[in-house]
Amino acid sequence: MTENTPKEKTQRSEFMRAQVPRSMMVFTILLTLLYFYLIAFTFAAGNMTLFTLLIIGEIFHVFQVIMFVSTIWRMDYEAPQDKLHFEPVDIFITVVSEPMDIIEKTVRAAKAIEYPSVTVHILNDGFVAKKENWQEVEVLAKRLGVNCITRRTPGGAKAGNINHALRVTKAPLVVVFDADHVPHPDFLKKTVPYFVDERMGFVQVPQYYKNYQLNYVTQSAWEQQQLFFGPICRGKNRLNSVTMCGTNMVIRRTALEEVGGMSETSIAEDFLTGLYMHSRKWKSVYVPEILAEGLAPEDFLSYYKQQFRWARGSLDVIFPRNLLLLKGLTWNQRLQYFVSISFYLSGSIVLMNALIPIVFFFTGLVPIVTSTMILASIFLPYILLTLYMLQKSSNFSFTFRALAFSMGQFHIHILALWSAMTRQKVKFSVTPKRAQTGNFLKLAIPHIAYVIVALVGMSYSYHTGGLTASFIANSAWALLNVGVFLPVIYAASPQLMRNKQLSVPKLVPEEVSVSTKDI
Amino acid sequence: MTLAATTQPTKLVKAAPWIIAGLMVLSTLLSLAFFQRQSLRLDEAQSLWQTSHGPAMILKLVGEDVHVPLYHLILHVWQLFFGNDVSLARLLSFFFFLLSIPLMYALGRLCYDVKTSLFTTALFVISPFMNWYANEIRMYSLLVFMVLLNQYFFVSIFKKKTTGAWIGFTITAILGMYTHYFFFLILLADLFFYFYNRRLFLPRSLPKFFGVFFLLVVLFTPWVLYVLYLGSSANSAPSLAPPTTVNVFNTFSEFLFGFQTDHLNTILVSLWPLTILLAFLALRKNEKLRPETIYFLIAFLLPNIVAFAVSIVVRPVYLSRYLIFTLPSMYFVVAWLLGTYPRRMAIIARTALLVLMAGTLWVEAVSAATPVKENYREAVNYLEEHVKPADVIVVSAPFTIYPVMYYYRGPALLSTLPIWDMLAHGPIPAFFEAELPGQVSTLAAGHENLWLLLSYDQGYQEKVRLYFDTHFERTYTHKFSPGLSLYKYKLRYDR
Repeated sequence: MTENTPKEKTQRSEFMRAQVPRSMMVFTILLTLLYFYLIAFTFAAGNMTLFTLLIIGEIFHVFQVIMFVSTIWRMDYEAPQDKLHFEPVDIFITVVSEPMDIIEKTVRAAKAIEYPSVTVHILNDGFVAKKENWQEVEVLAKRLGVNCITRRTPGGAKAGNINHALRVTKAPLVVVFDADHVPHPDFLKKTVPYFVDERMGFVQVPQYYKNYQLNYVTQSAWEQQQLFFGPICRGKNRLNSVTMCGTNMVIRRTALEEVGGMSETSIAEDFLTGLYMHSRKWKSVYVPEILAEGLAPEDFLSYYKQQFRWARGSLDVIFPRNLLLLKGLTWNQRLQYFVSISFYLSGSIVLMNALIPIVFFFTGLVPIVTSTMILASIFLPYILLTLYMLQKSSNFSFTFRALAFSMGQFHIHILALWSAMTRQKVKFSVTPKRAQTGNFLKLAIPHIAYVIVALVGMSYSYHTGGLTASFIANSAWALLNVGVFLPVIYAASPQLMRNKQLSVPKLVPEEVSVSTKDI
Repeated sequence: MTLAATTQPTKLVKAAPWIIAGLMVLSTLLSLAFFQRQSLRLDEAQSLWQTSHGPAMILKLVGEDVHVPLYHLILHVWQLFFGNDVSLARLLSFFFFLLSIPLMYALGRLCYDVKTSLFTTALFVISPFMNWYANEIRMYSLLVFMVLLNQYFFVSIFKKKTTGAWIGFTITAILGMYTHYFFFLILLADLFFYFYNRRLFLPRSLPKFFGVFFLLVVLFTPWVLYVLYLGSSANSAPSLAPPTTVNVFNTFSEFLFGFQTDHLNTILVSLWPLTILLAFLALRKNEKLRPETIYFLIAFLLPNIVAFAVSIVVRPVYLSRYLIFTLPSMYFVVAWLLGTYPRRMAIIARTALLVLMAGTLWVEAVSAATPVKENYREAVNYLEEHVKPADVIVVSAPFTIYPVMYYYRGPALLSTLPIWDMLAHGPIPAFFEAELPGQVSTLAAGHENLWLLLSYDQGYQEKVRLYFDTHFERTYTHKFSPGLSLYKYKLRYDR
């Protein structure tokens, strides 16, 4: 990878520079409420079950829009800081079995951080994870002149690794980097000043993917991230509800110790730990600046696993015990955590909406009875304005790919929801840093099935009911869903990895596993 | 790569005048092959009748007809030179359409790249809706021409910032207001855009806009006073029902696909959820809405919204043809949207739209079922061949007598129901069911057969037909075009 020019550095941070006019936000809310009112209270219900499901879906959408607007209402909040503030720092680079060149790059960058008192530690979990190359990490640490903490007692996955390191280090501030997240030299200069506030618990910076231009999956993954690390995190900043993301973060040791270290009970240890810290009245800050550069999942399997882990980990917060009711959290924080989690509930809504035309094709049942034009006249302004607001809030970084990947991971969300509700044990695994090869179409079976069922349904409905307005409108809805699911099918298809230069070499072909057990 | 990328548009820029010329030839061929040959329609007959008078009378008739006089005066002069043949009168409208084609391209070039401009111009040329009104003896093609000119100067005001742009804007604003009342909606859109995007304009633009609008008020007030002096309008225009959102979507559908049968139109408008997919696909990195696109969005949507709101709150005025001037803006928005797609997808989408529009243009032109076709010529030809001096021809609604009069040279008396004396001052008499028997008796008196030509249902057509069906023997029925039917009733059996 070549070094970025200052112009490129500015350009890639553009998604964190947007402002949305408040008039637009208010108008969006009004249109959303009007749309919901008309759908729920003025249209005649068709099939009551479908109508009820539709209304549940719409309530969810209204909630999402209102919460998004309330989050981004002000994105320019800046917490107090003192540029001269200084505290010693321990840098933890968590390692399991990543390629040595990746680890080396991160360690070298950590060593190059401009700061008066910093100790770099490689947290080597290779031994407990029974990885063959665990000793190579110790050799590497010795060669680079940094400390290597190799855990001998297993447990707690990444959280356990960090907690173990906490016990053998002592600096008041702890920085965590995943093995592939290369920090900039000014990382600490830009983050430590916020710890002038004694109640500052952690400071989070964006998780930037430097390999995002590599292929369709990396581009889509990064474009999805931009909405989160752009307007959403900037908005959460104001509400003291920043999400802890597990890497590129500075944590106050005393705060972390007060909540018992990184949470080892969830595969999204970061998310839960942040929540616990907030419940103990510790503050959080988000710095909207790219200060470390990581790697996006380079293939659909890795992406799938990463998304499942995030979904399941987030849903663990409300299943089986609702941790949002923890004492000490403000209502704003509860809402913000819930809205973050609710993204992973959206899969059910996406599937439900996608099934409405299918149900019509085979049964003729519809949720509401109205002229398709009347529906268009209230739905189009609402959806188009919402889309425009999303675009504007992300400084026109939000893309169709990101949207398609968000909607298209409905099966991941549903699977995660099921596994959370049934308390299935899921093993933590690090997102692979190398592209996996193979045919991942298995992961897109729900989408392929939808396309087939939609086409069969259209054909059946046409032969039984003819070319009616309802048939055309429902076909258009089904085609819309097909259009949204196609990018996922494309991303999962084997040709994606052809003729692409990868940031690190491919792994040898392996069997694709979609089991939730080892995700 | 860079060389190819720069060479390609340069080649296209050089070829553009030839492409535009080719598009103008294409539109001329379309006009000659299809649209010029059609029967005179009601509105056209009205224009011909109104402009057959002297200028003073034209002003009076147009004022009473809730219109403004520029087009009628130009048509009057045109007829002085070329005669009042239908085809020649239609040529005037076509002439303005032809002028609008390079203007469309010029406006596109002012705002977008050559590819988008050419594509938008191509849409304009094959637009079924535009072609229909480009060949109608009404002011609509002149209105589009004036609006395009006005938009060109308005965009120039914030892009070129020249004095010439202000002068052009002022002149076109004044002429436009005398072309159609709805022209003020484009000025409203201009103003709205100005307040939304003031930073694009020079600091002293607001006083200049006020100056232009003050001048406009001064120059338009005499006409308003004259219309007020004339009193209530002549009620010669068809009455409109309050619009619903269905009308709005039909308007958008007509702008793209022209006038189609109900069935085809239902299919087209029911596909609306796909517009969401089209919008989704436009979500592309750094694809910001440019000010020009925002302007076209406003120029397209605002007049439609205002006309719809006025129709609901004040009185129904929402008609797709009144809003034809928003069609170019809509095409610019569509062209921009498709231009945001990845290259291959953009090519597919553009081609698909062109093919679809060309197809619907073809259907509109050749299909007898096209709902706006009014085949008065054939109906009158039939009447001329079959009526006897003892017969009477009754047309309803009364104002449809204009196209009938234009063609009719037969021996039977021509009248209307309700009975209307065209030369008498005042509005067309309203229909009262209670007066129907008396009026029918008056019309039937002394005649052998009554030929009832029904078109432009004003809400009482079925009552009229039922009355005749239940009181007289119907001996002939024929539908000449959608909404235009002829019935023959036997009045007497003693001869």
